[in-house]
Amino acid sequence: METLTHILNGFAVSLQPINLWYTFIGVFLGTIIGVLPGIGPSAGIALLIPVTYGMNPTSALIMMAGIYYGTKYGGSTTAILINTPGEAASVMTAIDGYQMAKKGRAGAALAISAVGSFIAGTLGVVGLTVFAVPLASMALKFGPAEYFALMFFALTAVSSLGGKSPAKAMISTILGLMIATIGIDLQSGQPRYTMGIPELQDGVGFVIAVVGLFAIAEVFSTMEDITKGVRSEIIRLKGRLWFTRDEWERSVAPILRGGVIGFVIGVLPGAGGTIAAILSYVWEKRLSRHPEEFGKGAIEGVAGPEAANNSDTAGAMVPLLTLGIPGGGATAVLLGAFIMYGIQPGPLLFQNRPDLVWGLVDSMYIGNIMLLILNLPLIGLFVRLLYIPRGILMPLIMAISAIGVYALNGNPVELYIGLLFGIAGYLFRKADIPVAPMVLSLVLGGTMEQSFRQAMTISGGNPGIFVGSAISVTLVALSALSVVLPFILPRLKAWRDGSRDTA
Amino acid sequence: MMTDRVILVGTIVVAGVYLFATAQIPVLEIGDPLGPKAFPRLLGLGLLIAAGLLFAEMRKDRRAPVPGAARVGSHDWRHLWVIAGVIVWTGAYYAAFERLGYVVATAIYLFALMAWFNRGRWVTNALASVLFCLLSYAMFVKLDVNLPKGILPF
Repeated sequence: METLTHILNGFAVSLQPINLWYTFIGVFLGTIIGVLPGIGPSAGIALLIPVTYGMNPTSALIMMAGIYYGTKYGGSTTAILINTPGEAASVMTAIDGYQMAKKGRAGAALAISAVGSFIAGTLGVVGLTVFAVPLASMALKFGPAEYFALMFFALTAVSSLGGKSPAKAMISTILGLMIATIGIDLQSGQPRYTMGIPELQDGVGFVIAVVGLFAIAEVFSTMEDITKGVRSEIIRLKGRLWFTRDEWERSVAPILRGGVIGFVIGVLPGAGGTIAAILSYVWEKRLSRHPEEFGKGAIEGVAGPEAANNSDTAGAMVPLLTLGIPGGGATAVLLGAFIMYGIQPGPLLFQNRPDLVWGLVDSMYIGNIMLLILNLPLIGLFVRLLYIPRGILMPLIMAISAIGVYALNGNPVELYIGLLFGIAGYLFRKADIPVAPMVLSLVLGGTMEQSFRQAMTISGGNPGIFVGSAISVTLVALSALSVVLPFILPRLKAWRDGSRDTA
Repeated sequence: MMTDRVILVGTIVVAGVYLFATAQIPVLEIGDPLGPKAFPRLLGLGLLIAAGLLFAEMRKDRRAPVPGAARVGSHDWRHLWVIAGVIVWTGAYYAAFERLGYVVATAIYLFALMAWFNRGRWVTNALASVLFCLLSYAMFVKLDVNLPKGILPF
């Protein structure tokens, strides 16, 4: 009953004119960021953090969350019209969406994306509303050892699912943790790895790292593409922006299934929207009576993955809000934003700031309605963004990045640190090293070390504390599995294939 | 494969340097039995283990090379030089950011980049760079975001 009151009060907060306005700004900017290839939700949120300093934290977080789920709506437009995901999680939408567009069904693909995103996004928020409180109550039993084990699991899960090479993802994760140790150690007061640079005493700001790793690095990659002459053809949007009855009937079940897949994947650390979309696509292809149409313009191949990558965002908010543990790059940046406002997400937040938590959650219902309106009648406006030459857009993103970094502390040295991260991010991409694990570990690193040291202090230096409760044993076992499985599974598969060949 | 070898060596070097730097941290045995070195030591060791896993992956890939894997050719160097140029130009922009001020430094920076990456459209590029600087400056000043004035009086 108390929770219901909080949920209703949350609507009172999210329906305040100022918060409605910031929800709108968030989802509007999110759609733009999603449409524009070259800037994703992580960089988008990070760049806006300095702008929101003077704002009320609830409004600021409502706006940043709006950017996060808004990008998923926008990403599909680019995927369908130019065969390039505007946002990584739209990668599967590009396959059949682009084929539909080539056949003159771009309007149907865009409409089913928007409607599917709305249904699944709303379902996801319902899931978030239902599961948040029980999980937060459970999290109240967590001590430092359990928290350390949970963060360890989040990092190992992200590493194991972070790309083609688990070893490279692990390197990225540990490098992020190492960067997080730079600065004055909070417990002993000792400076660590600062190399005598005063700007490093407070550590490396995560906003600077995120802007460098995501925005600047992406600009460098796109500039390389421009130099190589890589260009995408934009398919003109013509005809009615709606789907036929038959297309709708084919899409309903994939949307609902995609919504469930996306939410579950979102709650789990590591996987994220891209994997949710891939799983939904594979599942729909398997269930379809016309699997041969997949890859040639099957509407199920657009509806399912788009639904999955939208409900994933609501799922990802569950561990972020209830445990304070993000499961991927964008939620890591959101966690960083919470921390910058002096708010620690986690079970206590539900007790201490129910207005903020439920205001934020309820704003997601409203935001999804706004996104549906923005992405159907106003889609033509966003499509025009695709006509901005990349040669103009990329320099502008560099300038916006400079503003975002400089506005933090007014310190030009931080601009150079951001540039260094940009170079690192660019080289990481060339070397197939995923950057999301680094951002996640950079944000979690400080808390993780504190939990580790607190747990060891409680146990008098006995590491057995990390397997001292059922929760921590489970989490440590899951972490070990997620480290070992990516190395063992391919060998098992090779061994099984080998024995089948010889049989 | 060459890239992976560079990553492997780089990772081992970083782990070595990090562990060496960890050893240099002075320790005060007050209040915190574990001290500021323990967690970083684990990270250093973790990075060495990750390097070992990368080595194992490289050996596996050598036995089963990926079909059609692209090789980095000499033609890639031109693109790298362009990116190197952008990095140097960005460094120069940051150096001028406070001295010339946001509007002037950014307008020059943007115009030069657009001239290279959006060639031939001088008027569009000039308008885009100047209008963006003025509008963004006005907007951020309104939002109380501090941007350097530099040589301009406003």
